[in-house]
Amino acid sequence: MLLILIRRELLANLMTFRFLVAMVGTLLLVVVNTVVLIDDYERRLTSYNTATQQHSEEVSSASTYSSLEIHLDRSPNPLSIFNAGLDRRLGNSISFSHILVPTHWDTESHSADNPFLNLFSSVDLILIFQVILSLLALLFAHDAIAGEREAGTLRLTMANSVSRSVILLAKYISAMACLMLPVIMSLLLVLILFSISGSILLSGDDWLRIGGILLISIIYLSAFYLIGLLISVITRRAATALMLSMVIWSTLVLIYPSLSVFAVNRLWDTSSQLESAYREIEQIWEAFERDRMGFLRNDEIEGEDLNANIRYGGTVGTFHTSNPTTLMYSKVETRSIGIKPEAEPLMPHVKAYFQFTEPRRIRAAERTWQVRQKALDQVHVRKANMAKNLMRFSPAAMYDFATEAWAGTDFHGIEDFITAVQQYRQTIIDYFYDKAAFSSRQWFAKDQGKVDWSDLPQFSYHRADVSIGAKHASGDIACLLLINIVLFMMTFLIFLRQEV
Amino acid sequence: MIWHITKRELYDHLNSLRFAFTIVLLLVLMIVNAIGYLGEYKSRSTAYQKKVSASLDKMRSNADNLYDLLIAGPGTLYKKPSVLSFCTNTGEIFIPESADGVSDRSVMLPTRFSFKAIWRMEYPQSNPNLWNIMPDYTNVDWSDIVSVVLSLIAILFTFDAISSEQERGTLRLILSNSVSRGTVLLSKFLAALITISIPFLMAALINLFLLYTSGSISFGLSEWGRLGVIVLIAFVYVSIFLALGLLISSCVSNSSISLTILLLIWVIWVVLLPSTLGATTSGLQPTMTSDEFNARWQSLYQNLDAQYIRRRHDDKIPSREIPATEGTLFWAKYITEDAKRNEKLNEEHLDAQIAQIQLARSITRISPASSVQYAIESLAGTGFTRHVQFLAHVRRYADEFMAFLIETDRADRESPHAIGPKEGTSQKPVRFESIPKFEDHISFAGAYNAAATDIILLFLFFLVLFAGAFLSLLRVDV
Repeated sequence: MLLILIRRELLANLMTFRFLVAMVGTLLLVVVNTVVLIDDYERRLTSYNTATQQHSEEVSSASTYSSLEIHLDRSPNPLSIFNAGLDRRLGNSISFSHILVPTHWDTESHSADNPFLNLFSSVDLILIFQVILSLLALLFAHDAIAGEREAGTLRLTMANSVSRSVILLAKYISAMACLMLPVIMSLLLVLILFSISGSILLSGDDWLRIGGILLISIIYLSAFYLIGLLISVITRRAATALMLSMVIWSTLVLIYPSLSVFAVNRLWDTSSQLESAYREIEQIWEAFERDRMGFLRNDEIEGEDLNANIRYGGTVGTFHTSNPTTLMYSKVETRSIGIKPEAEPLMPHVKAYFQFTEPRRIRAAERTWQVRQKALDQVHVRKANMAKNLMRFSPAAMYDFATEAWAGTDFHGIEDFITAVQQYRQTIIDYFYDKAAFSSRQWFAKDQGKVDWSDLPQFSYHRADVSIGAKHASGDIACLLLINIVLFMMTFLIFLRQEV
Repeated sequence: MIWHITKRELYDHLNSLRFAFTIVLLLVLMIVNAIGYLGEYKSRSTAYQKKVSASLDKMRSNADNLYDLLIAGPGTLYKKPSVLSFCTNTGEIFIPESADGVSDRSVMLPTRFSFKAIWRMEYPQSNPNLWNIMPDYTNVDWSDIVSVVLSLIAILFTFDAISSEQERGTLRLILSNSVSRGTVLLSKFLAALITISIPFLMAALINLFLLYTSGSISFGLSEWGRLGVIVLIAFVYVSIFLALGLLISSCVSNSSISLTILLLIWVIWVVLLPSTLGATTSGLQPTMTSDEFNARWQSLYQNLDAQYIRRRHDDKIPSREIPATEGTLFWAKYITEDAKRNEKLNEEHLDAQIAQIQLARSITRISPASSVQYAIESLAGTGFTRHVQFLAHVRRYADEFMAFLIETDRADRESPHAIGPKEGTSQKPVRFESIPKFEDHISFAGAYNAAATDIILLFLFFLVLFAGAFLSLLRVDV
């Protein structure tokens, strides 16, 4: 009996005009957008490749240890086509040296051609599903019960020996099958376009991620269908149900998320938290400076200049950066100089100086980073999290966040890259210690040839495992599932007790 | 007769669920908007005043020597904040607020001389959006309330205007009186327009009242004028969707199908098309990438070097002799050329970027949601349109400033009049008051002109759709 009912419902849904329109509309938008997004991805990939090429050449051009500054680039994520998230927007190029520990807020972009392009909000496939298919789900659901009741066919169906739960289940299953059709078709089209373009290579991990996105899409659409079904059960007339569904849809999908982001953006004041952190950082560097001056006072040479009277040419970078809004603060001392012949006896003294200062400088930089990271995260991350948590009252936002986490384009996915860079910096510091770089002449002088960088550890970064993305998405998925269950139970109970 | 039907429709609408929904929704949105922008203009304009006066102070300190002024330039030029930013504020976090008329370079030549480069205009390319991790959703500004919410409401009020009367058979009753079909259509249209305008105007007035009484905004006559036009544009925009609703409603005999079609059209036309088309068409006219820009910059220097420096003009020495010697003139030409070419490259880059966006914007005008957004933007004096106007002001001012420097130098009898090297330029103090100052303003005529195309486009959309609705109603079998 269930099968008969499902088949009837399926046919009734598939043959409708609205299904045709929604299907064609979705597929058209998906194809156009995928072509554009693939093109955009390819452009980003080329710019990433040229940037890494350039930056790796730059490393080998550093002539002394102290002047080593490494630029690293984040490769674009192919799954950003599904959910762009932050992958495209945030900076994708980062630099560090022994004196600067990079944070998320120091990134630059190697591909920012036109900043005004941000005027157009980013589009991805999830947005299309999120808006159009949820609408379709409600359109299917609003007259499922109310419409049949009005037409009197509900009474006819129940005159047979069919339980109410079977009717509800049949409607649910057939509608979900219809809703899945555009999702799966567009997914297939996307994959075909991927294979035509040839530039997007999906790993086994990526297939799992796409599977996860598909799963979340099903749960999301089911939640919206159940909302519509509940409304349809409660209301007497299909027209009222439709109106109510539209009100709820526009609120949940469009208005509420914008409202919460706007409120948080406008009403969250952050500036004051940075001041104390800035003072703390200043103190760290004052302490370092005291140590350094103490060392200089106690050594045997008096009144030496910045270069301990040893320099005859080359570049010296002793600059001081400070910026209270980005909390950037460092005192850099990098040299790439030649040594005056008569200064040769001073060499042990200069080496001792750097052996004393550099480990302390590195420690100061690391402590600065800790303070900075914490303060800046409080400003930026807490604000974003606040907005996100507020938005989570809308299933549409949950869907967005969950797919973002699966695709690895959320904040965590990008943070992984920063963490990898920070770890890589630590390896470089260890490499310096191994080579006794601070006490070597090549720390500051280039007169005995360039440093040999051939055994410098290489940077490698792989996107975090799919399980980690799944873990980050699990909260939202659980919430969506819970919404589904609650809605289904409510619909069921109300429908059971209702007179036809 | 027309008023008769309108009145009847109006009573129907005012008693409906959708009217209650409209009131609640618009009130909430407008009040949130007002709260969000409380004190926003005040803090922005004080920050603007502070920055401008700091920039002027710097200029004053350079004014005691014309040469210093030539090197330092007019300083950073700031964009004046708009009073009406609560109407629309797209891109406020990444559209630059200033342009730099500065120079801090010194040109080291492989010859015996080194010069300071003279000032030139530079346009900030930074992109603070790089740190923005907030979720990507639209603002709650007037323009978004109008373009998304009002259009949806317009559809909800008209989707069953004809089709439900047809279903119930009341259309036949009406038409059996001596009423033309055009009158029926017009009165239904007017009734829906009036119904929507009541909550919209109410919410807008509460919004303005909140902003006004909190003292965060002071309106002049021009602001009221522009606000009035913005409200008018909103009405035209709403009319487009009312006409669309009437058109579909008279084409389709079933109101549920009519709403379905309307909603799908609406989602694609209003919600998805503006951003999709923007992203798509910006690829049609790619600009210089930063690599290309750097390459051009380098070739520019090589050219300049080849012309002036490789030839070892050690014999050409700048001096203060009057009239200017060949050496002074030679280096003056080099320095001005250097500044000019640099500025030209910068401007070319900027122009290419602007052209890319303009093209994409003109294509997104297929959707009236974009048109209404751009029209409100032009009138409110925010966003991209305003930025383009600001850049035009900056360029005009830059020319004026340079002309002033040249003229002042001419007036000095002790100068060889070869602007560029220190020897060739006047060293006299300049009266600070006589230096032209940059005064950014939001011009009326500019605002209306920029909005005109969009307003005309919106009218055309409305006319076409209304005519369509009329024709299809004529063909309806009752």
